[in-house]
Amino acid sequence: MADQLVQQIVNGLLIGFIYSLIAIGLTLIWGVMNIVNFAHGDFLMLGMFTSFWLYTLYGVDPLFSIPVCTALLFILGLLIYRFIVSKVMKGPMLAQLVVTFGVSIFLANLAVFLWSPDFRLIEKPLLHGTWDIGDIKLSIPKFVATIGSVIVSLFVFLFLRKTKTGKAILATEMDREAALLMGINTERINSISFALGSALVGIAGAFLSTYYYIYPQVGGTFGLIAFCVVALGGFGSIEGAFIAGIIVGLAQTLGGFFIDPAYKYAFVFLIYLITVWIRPQGLLGW
Amino acid sequence: MGTKKLWVVIISFLLVLSLSVYVHAQPKVIKIGAIYPLTGNLATTGLDCKRGVEMAVEIINGKYDLSLPLAKTEGLPNLGGAKIEIIFADSKGDPKNGMAEAERLVTQEKVVAVIGAYQSAVTKTASQATERLKIPYVCSDSTSPTLTERGFKYFFRAECTDTIFAKNQFEFLEDIKKKTKSKIDSVALLYENTEWGANVGKEEQKYAKEFKYKVAADIPYSQNATDVSSEAGVLMKNKPDVLLHASYITDAILYTKTFKELGFSPKGFLTMAGYLEPGYLATVKGDGNNMIVRSTFALDLAKRKPLVAQVNDLYKRKYGMEMSGNAARSFTAPFVVAEAINRAKSTEAEAVTKALMGTNIPGDQIINPWKGIKFDPQTHQNIYATGILVQIQGEQYHTVWPFDMASKDVVWPFPGWKK
Amino acid sequence: MRNLTFKQISLCLIVLILVALFPLAFSKPFPQHVMILVFMFGMMAVAWNIMGGYAGMFSFGQVAFFGIGAYTSSFLLITYHVNPWLGLVVGGLIAALVAAAIGYPCSNLRGHYFAIASIAFGEIVRTHFNNWKLIGAAEGMTLPMMKESFENFMFHSSKLPYYYIMLAFLIISLIVCYFVATSKMGYYFRAIKESHDVAKVLGVNVVWYRLIAIMISAFLTAMAGTFYAQYVLYLDPESVLILPISVQVVLISMLGGAGSIMGPVIGAAILMPVSEITRVMLGHKGTGIDMLIYGALITLISVYQPKGVWGLFSGIGKRTK
Repeated sequence: MADQLVQQIVNGLLIGFIYSLIAIGLTLIWGVMNIVNFAHGDFLMLGMFTSFWLYTLYGVDPLFSIPVCTALLFILGLLIYRFIVSKVMKGPMLAQLVVTFGVSIFLANLAVFLWSPDFRLIEKPLLHGTWDIGDIKLSIPKFVATIGSVIVSLFVFLFLRKTKTGKAILATEMDREAALLMGINTERINSISFALGSALVGIAGAFLSTYYYIYPQVGGTFGLIAFCVVALGGFGSIEGAFIAGIIVGLAQTLGGFFIDPAYKYAFVFLIYLITVWIRPQGLLGW
Repeated sequence: MGTKKLWVVIISFLLVLSLSVYVHAQPKVIKIGAIYPLTGNLATTGLDCKRGVEMAVEIINGKYDLSLPLAKTEGLPNLGGAKIEIIFADSKGDPKNGMAEAERLVTQEKVVAVIGAYQSAVTKTASQATERLKIPYVCSDSTSPTLTERGFKYFFRAECTDTIFAKNQFEFLEDIKKKTKSKIDSVALLYENTEWGANVGKEEQKYAKEFKYKVAADIPYSQNATDVSSEAGVLMKNKPDVLLHASYITDAILYTKTFKELGFSPKGFLTMAGYLEPGYLATVKGDGNNMIVRSTFALDLAKRKPLVAQVNDLYKRKYGMEMSGNAARSFTAPFVVAEAINRAKSTEAEAVTKALMGTNIPGDQIINPWKGIKFDPQTHQNIYATGILVQIQGEQYHTVWPFDMASKDVVWPFPGWKK
Repeated sequence: MRNLTFKQISLCLIVLILVALFPLAFSKPFPQHVMILVFMFGMMAVAWNIMGGYAGMFSFGQVAFFGIGAYTSSFLLITYHVNPWLGLVVGGLIAALVAAAIGYPCSNLRGHYFAIASIAFGEIVRTHFNNWKLIGAAEGMTLPMMKESFENFMFHSSKLPYYYIMLAFLIISLIVCYFVATSKMGYYFRAIKESHDVAKVLGVNVVWYRLIAIMISAFLTAMAGTFYAQYVLYLDPESVLILPISVQVVLISMLGGAGSIMGPVIGAAILMPVSEITRVMLGHKGTGIDMLIYGALITLISVYQPKGVWGLFSGIGKRTK
């Protein structure tokens, strides 16, 4: 029983780090612009498909397609911000909530239209298989994704604190008006944040594609959890999203294993509710 | 105008009139409605079913030297060669759409019968609508037993029920125990927590008790999960001898990968539905080997029934892929409907329904491994519908049970996962 | 909103007469079904509007109340042979109670946090019902085919009674919304929406009024749920407790114009026919084009006409952010 416990903890961490990676991009957008990007899951899907097509058509391993995913999703984020999101920023909050829903439905069905609803899988990524560490089985692709998640999160953390643009982003997150007064071009910060957030989830898509099946509606499943993770961690807090992702992964796996698998997502949502009741701004939000 | 010109006009007019009358006297079109989840989560399945239906209609409408009803003639001979036209409708997997589409197909598109809808919940509401409208509904792809327990007059089901499939699994276990003398005491039930999966779970519980197997674990799970480690963990903790898994395609893929990753190797995997879909093997490839799936169709039945190979060849030529179990199921309904209409010599609902009551298609005229198609007078369930078990070997489906119908020996126990 | 002008009243009456005559002109079931969906989703959108458009609580969990209403009346009917009209009221009350129970701890959540909490709530309800054997769990419940009558709330030979009943429900919800909007309560709702703190300073019991808004909204939504059950005669968690229904309700309100009485109805009158007709015409191809159009439509409306269609017509004091 004890080794099952360890195995489940390991599994929980592995899925948790992926949630973290997905959530980081989302929390960045949310924190800077106060916009919930409901299409975030669909950006993930596009990242996965990019990785898939590069693999299938050109034999590029998902790990090496990361730069392409990053660039493509960055540009997509820029375009969507410029032509759609920026226009609703001045509008009512409801429009802001809803516009990304529209984009989400559009993107998911564009994928159906272009690539059919069929399921795809990358069969043999470069790093595949399972490590046996004693009685514990460690999935190599998931482990690689975990390492990737840590590296990317670290990069984002450093970027936000050490670079000029990064600091400007943080400043805008904290106090938009003050940032404006300080001469920061908040509009430019908005578009960079949206693009960066999209790029980050594109990277997550590349990692996820190494072991999860790829299809147009995959965004829905991960997207919903990502919102809980972000809200749990506190909007805008990268560290918060990172930690919350791991908590959610563990809650889902351990709750599912020890209590009831049928309720495993309900546990995640329950944890979210309890957390915001006690601490409305999330764990590390401001 | 002169009188001559007037006559020319009148005669031309009469000629045109007679021509149009002649055109109308051509075989008319018989419309049948087909409801399937053509978009949404089950789109791949719905489109698979659509292929089966379209193949059937092509054979009915054309002239083929096949031992299928109405294949050798173009269209329906008793109705002047009238051809079948299928009007497809998208249910999106939503029962209220099933109801609305059935009503629309009947009242606006004027279909004379309805087939479909794969998901039992949608078939339920759609057939409720046709029952109210007094139009025949022939289902060959929904397996919920409750569909034929409603006492409906106009609803007919050609396919097996989940009750039969669940029982098959335990009958197989009894047979394999005798054959290999292996010890099989416990089963684990793993099923998708939807209307279909939950019902399967219930039936399996019932038969586990009847056949005296211990249920080591009973795990319903949410479909489209991001991760199934906890479910797999519970299974590994409880160490069942055999796993019974009812899932649609998405989770079939995820579970296979997870089981391999975690090294879950019971003596056997008895599965349903999702594992039969072309997308499953296309995605998991070799990892799907040795999965046993319930079915009512297998390509290797061709050894006893050349018709199967002939139909599959046609299908392959048209679609570039082998006929799947889903497509084969949906393939049946158009034949049942068309044959009944032809026998009734009418498209009128009461006549067709009466004809369906008397349907008796012999086994050598269907691609399924049944004695035939004949409906029970009370429940309208096909009394000859039985299930078979196929096993994936070498990334292909082979019939392995009943043993006297098997084309290959079943690989038992599960030999473990290949690296 | 002030008292309605003569022009507005006569316009409403004309629309009402046209709507009442519609099924007699279009006697096929499908157009009637589309209109019934317009009324049903319109009612849910009006209910949403009371707590969302007016009181500023953007709920994405309305489907939970819809499901509670549907399940309550159906369970009582099947197990205890309780008349569905009575079941309707019980379902509404239970939904309102649940709404209060969840609304209270969430009462100081703002904006996005509230929205996500409502999604979490909806999903928890769905998961629970999916595993609750008493009400059929994942297999759902099938309503018995009873003799056709108003008392039985069931009709087989024609959709007309369903049509007029749902229309009546919609009108009831509009009347409720009107009274809420024009009463002191509505004034408090809008104050709360603008700013919690200011409202508190003004002496408004913020928590209490938020709860009232949620409870009214829940009761009305549950009514729609009971109607659905009696109309389709089958329910399971996958058809009455899923997130897309909540989202659709919000979209309709936004499209039509949140914060106005008729806005949500207009939204439903546009969105439901569009989605049904695109599904019928394009869905069967399986290419997803119908949803593509739907998504594009929502995006365009949000960008170019965020106040909704109602915003196009009314210039009177529409609140903007």
